[in-house]
Amino acid sequence: MYKRVKTHDLVIAEEEKAKRASELVIANEEKGKRADELIIAEEEKAERADELVIANEDKAERADELIIANHEKDKRVAELIIANKEKEKRASELIIANKELVFQNGEKQKRADELIIANKKLAYQNEEKEKRAKELSIANIELAFQNDEKEKRAKELSVANKELQFQNIEKEKRASELILVNKEQEAFSYSVSHDLRAPLRHINGYVDLLLSRFYDSLPEKGRHYLDNIADSSSKMGTLIDDLLQFSRLGRQEKQLVDLDMNIIVHDVLVPIKHDNSERNIKWHIAKLPHVYGDQALLRLVWTNLLSNAVKFTHTREKAIIEINVLDENDSFIFSIHDNGVGFDMQYAQKLFGVFQRLHPTDEFEGTGIGLANVHNIILRHRGRTWAEAEPDKGATFYFSLPKNKEN
Amino acid sequence: MDGLRTILLAEDNPKDVELTLEAMAENSLANHIIVVKDGVEALEYLRCQGKYKLRKTGNPALILLDIKMPRMDGIEVLRNIRSDDKLKRIPVVVLTSSREENDLINTYELGVNAYVLKPVDFKQFIEAVKQIGSFWAVLNELPPERSQ
Repeated sequence: MYKRVKTHDLVIAEEEKAKRASELVIANEEKGKRADELIIAEEEKAERADELVIANEDKAERADELIIANHEKDKRVAELIIANKEKEKRASELIIANKELVFQNGEKQKRADELIIANKKLAYQNEEKEKRAKELSIANIELAFQNDEKEKRAKELSVANKELQFQNIEKEKRASELILVNKEQEAFSYSVSHDLRAPLRHINGYVDLLLSRFYDSLPEKGRHYLDNIADSSSKMGTLIDDLLQFSRLGRQEKQLVDLDMNIIVHDVLVPIKHDNSERNIKWHIAKLPHVYGDQALLRLVWTNLLSNAVKFTHTREKAIIEINVLDENDSFIFSIHDNGVGFDMQYAQKLFGVFQRLHPTDEFEGTGIGLANVHNIILRHRGRTWAEAEPDKGATFYFSLPKNKEN
Repeated sequence: MDGLRTILLAEDNPKDVELTLEAMAENSLANHIIVVKDGVEALEYLRCQGKYKLRKTGNPALILLDIKMPRMDGIEVLRNIRSDDKLKRIPVVVLTSSREENDLINTYELGVNAYVLKPVDFKQFIEAVKQIGSFWAVLNELPPERSQ
């Protein structure tokens, strides 16, 4: 079957093909036409694309510009925000500043008030100052006067100083004179010791030889005269010895130590009691203090005073001798009271002089040097000596010694 | 020793010399006593010089020395004696009227053997001379003399 259709059909298909080819030519022509048209369209399209590109470029440009503009805007906005914040800050600062100002104003007011008060005070003070200035002016005048006085006094002092200088020179002169006098005194006592005693010794020696060798050939009167010569020269020997002792005591350096007066009095009394063992003497001795003094010198004081008390009570059947002490502030006052013959107070100032005697030698022996030594020694201890008595009613001898070491 | 020991008495006062010699006689001190009138003469005797150039050598048993003498005093004599090797052992007794402390100190420092104060009372003086003489010139043993 199929082949039969084909031939027929082929003719027809050929026809058809031709038709279709012509149609295709036509179509191709059409297509060319359309391709041209398309090219044109394409060209137009390219043109339009170019235009679009340009437009796009423009758009992009505009977009860029917009972006930039937007950035600008953002920046400005940010700036505005910052500016706003600044403003806010400033505003708050201003608020604070305002408050501060208000406060400061208050303070100023306060200060102003204070200043007013201060001004018033100042005004008052100024018045005071003026017053004082006036007073000062018066005081200045006073001072000027006082200065004049001072100058006057200074001149007087200068005169007094010169006087003092002169007196010092005089004192030095006197001191060196005193040293000289002391040396002379030493030479004197040396001379007394040696030169005065030698002839006395010779008198004694020859009187003695005369009496021992030629006693039998001497008349009674002659022996009596020789006795008196011997007696006098021996007395003179004692006087010289006493005088020497007195002079030595005056020159002797004193050594101050702590002394128990009880011990000194006890020691001094031992030989006195021994020498007067046949006598009836009642001793009353108070408890005595310690003193500062020279032991040897104060022993001599007690020896003299106690021997005197014994001596001047020898006419009494019962002698009473009392030793007492009085504590008187800065010194001790020692007293020796006896119930002896006493003396008349009108001669009291003679008592402590060298070789002064108130009683005849044949009644009471002694040269009269003892109390002079006592006076001398106590004086050298910066103390005093005195006595109270009544004839036939006993005597009391006193001496004081300062308590402090510096004497 | 012939039993007569020599005593040198240095004393310037003739009355003191006489009284001392009398006191010696009273005490039967039969010593040979040489009297010199001052310190210079005392040293001349001791050193066999001057008028004692020809004396028999030998030191006295005792020197009785007064302090206050012309030319040279007793202290100076003592100083010379104690610093002289041949003389320094001689016993020296100061017999003086002076009780001066300085004299006591000086003589003892120079090595005096005794210091006796001439008593004013003649009986005491005789007693003193007796004791000095009998002790120093009789009782006391002397050191041997230095040979020349």
